[in-house]
Parts: sequence; C-alpha cells; structure tokens
Amino acid sequence: MGVAVIKNCLVILFLLLLQLELFSSMRLFGVMPELLLASAIAAGWYGGPTSGAIVGFSSGLFYDFYLATPLGLNALTYAIVGYLLGQIAVFLSDEAEWIIRITISVAAVTVGLVLFVTFGELIAEPNLYNRNFGKILVISSLYTGLLMVPVHFLMAWAFDARRESPVGFDRRLG
Amino acid sequence: MAGPRRYSGSRFALALLILTSVTLISLDARGYAPIGNLKKAGIVIVQPFRSLANIVFSPVGDVWESFSNGDELERENTLLRRQLDQLLSYRIANEGAVNDLEALRTQLGLQGLGGQETLVAEVTAGSVSNFDPYVLEINKGTQSGVREGMPVISTGGLIGRIENPGLRDSRVRLITDPIVNIGVLAIGTKEIGILTGNGVDQPMRVIDGIPIGAPVEVGSILVTSGLDRSPYPEGFAVGSVVEVVPDEVNLEKELLVEPTGEMDNLDFVTVVLYQPPSME
Repeated sequence: MGVAVIKNCLVILFLLLLQLELFSSMRLFGVMPELLLASAIAAGWYGGPTSGAIVGFSSGLFYDFYLATPLGLNALTYAIVGYLLGQIAVFLSDEAEWIIRITISVAAVTVGLVLFVTFGELIAEPNLYNRNFGKILVISSLYTGLLMVPVHFLMAWAFDARRESPVGFDRRLG
Repeated sequence: MAGPRRYSGSRFALALLILTSVTLISLDARGYAPIGNLKKAGIVIVQPFRSLANIVFSPVGDVWESFSNGDELERENTLLRRQLDQLLSYRIANEGAVNDLEALRTQLGLQGLGGQETLVAEVTAGSVSNFDPYVLEINKGTQSGVREGMPVISTGGLIGRIENPGLRDSRVRLITDPIVNIGVLAIGTKEIGILTGNGVDQPMRVIDGIPIGAPVEVGSILVTSGLDRSPYPEGFAVGSVVEVVPDEVNLEKELLVEPTGEMDNLDFVTVVLYQPPSME
C-alpha cells in the first residue's frame, strides 16, 4: 500500500512537471494536452473507482496550485472522472484492445474538460467558456489521447499492474 | 457480501472528495487567506523539481518551437531588422532631444517612468492552462517588493498587472483578458474611456465614454488615465486605435485598440513598483 502511494506520488509529480515545463510550450494549434486528467483516467483504469477518485483529486489539486481558478476546481473534476473510469472499467475485459482503452480515455478527457468548464461556469469563473472552447475540446482530447499510452504504462507501474484485482476493487462482482 | 460494501466504500470516498473540493472552492473564492497560503506552500514545495525540469525540458520546448514557429520566426526576424534600421536612423535624428529630456529629468528629479521605481523580472513561463491564456509567470515576488496589482510593462507600454504574488515569483494578468478594465485617456484630447480586453489576438475595445465628435481617430495613442481610484499611474501607453466604429444611436465611438506593449515571446518585463493611494 505504502509503495503504491509513493509510486503514485512520483507519477503525479512527473506528469505535473511535464505539464508545466514541457507541454505548456509544446502546444498544438495553441492547445496543450491534459496530462493530469489523463493520470486520473489511467488510475481509474488500473486502480478502480476509489483509487481513480483519490489520484484524480490529488493530481487536480496539485494542478490547481498553478492556476488562477479556485483551488479545488480541477480536483473536483478529476476525482469524478477517475471514479467514473473506475466504474466503466468493471464492464471491460482485461484483454480489451489498446485501441478501446485509448478511445475510452479520449472520451473521458472530453467529458473531463466539459465538466471542468461546467463547474467553472456554475461558480461564475470567467474565461472558461470562450470562443475557443470547441477547438480546445477537440485538440486537447486528441493530443492527450496520443500521450495516453505512456500514461497508462506509468499508472500500470504505479499500481503494480494489478489490473486483474486492483486495490479496493473486485472485478469479479458480476 | 464484500463486493457491495466495497462499492459503497468507493461512493463514500468520492462523496468525501467532492465535499472537500467544494469546501476548498468555496473558501478560495471568498479569499480565505489560509487557502492562498496553502497554494503558495504547494508551489514552493514543487519549485526545486520545477527548476530542474525546466533545465531538462527547455531544450525540447525550444526545438518544438523552432519547428512549429519556423516561418513566423523568420518573418519576425525580418520585421525586427527593419525596425532596428528605422530605430537607428531615428536615434541619430533625435539624439539631441534625448539629451535635452535627460537634462530636464535631472533638473526635475524624475527617475524615468513617471518617477516610479521599477524592477526588471524574467518571464519564467507563459500560461499553463488551456483555459486561461492571459497570464505570464515572472521570477520576482514579494521578497523583491512586488505587490498585488502593480503595473507590468514591456517594450512599448503597459501589458498587465501583478496577480497573486508569491515570495519569489508572481503571476501577471495580461490586459488582453476580457475581465480586465483600464481607464484610458486619448493623447492630445481630454477624452476618457474604459478599455476592455477582448481575448487572444483580438483588438481590445473602448465601448463607452468617447463622444462621436471627439477627435480620436485611427492611430491615436491611449494612455492610462490614472484618475480617481485607478490602479495604474497615469501616462503609460496602453494601445493605439486601429479602428473607429461610430455608434449613431448612443452618439459615441467604439474604438478597437491594439496593445502597444510587446506581449509575444517575452523574456523580460518591468514591474512598476507603484501602489495606488487606496491600496496603500
């Protein structure tokens, strides 16, 4: 358990640094990928709903430190997305093709971005819904999708690749 | 039996995390100081790793930029060479005037920039979010005398103001942000209006305040008015008018304004250590 926590912290820190120092300048059409949202998605996949929510909350909180939006907005969004991915993973076979994993992950990024902007609008946060929203949604989802494979590998390492019986998550329920 | 309990356990964990997030959002939105301090502490903890990552990743970012902006850089280079030629000839023509101005400044005890103290800061990062492109990060903070709301200028004029300064770094909110309003005065007139940001690569706008008959035309320079409780000192160039749209109904002019301050590919900016009287 302790080792998994340390590994998860390391992965979150690594992805945060990539997001802040590399991908903030490596933009496609002015849009950057959402690596920390990707970490929540992959954590839900390999760790189940609880771990997905916790990793999502933590990575979102760290990202929130660097944004002008209120602390907790990304944490809230990523926790929900991580949890949802954990729930969806119940219905998927362990042998699910990579293409299916990536497609679901890309859809989850899109859902995450929509949720983030929706929550932001609910608290009257300026700048979130703007004329570039459609472009950000499409490009960021696809760009994150391109990077999803290494993020999946990192999270598989963090959870010790226990996809078949993740912590706190029994896939044999059904 | 174990299954359903685990399911409800995960729901309980999610509910707890949602509750924590909503509490944090609520407290931060109300400006609760400990939350601000928590943010600053988080940044300080990550900073050493970030500095190291910057050293490692910046060459990769530079290569990417040179590939993705190659044509743009070439155009910019040509434009800069032309501007440099113009400036050199301008300098030769105005050397006498510069000496006169310097002599006058010395006589009047002014230090430049309206007598305000300034601080040069390095731009350490641009925006790190897809949804807020109107920020820069600089490497000076409260330790160097930087305070909330201080104006930030670059070559050509005002580009933003300090937001949420940390101990050794600060965020600059750019004037192109639609939530930013600045009281401006058109040079050579007494016309005052409110300039509002209009998004990335869009001209800023002055919607109210300029009567239709006012002598404000394309090419007019707008400077900070410094009036009343303006957070900016007066006289800083903000933008030049690129289009005038008459509003026959309200008998006013709408002005479209390009910022005069350089905002792209900035390496250094200047923080004006000015605090308006109401904020002191």
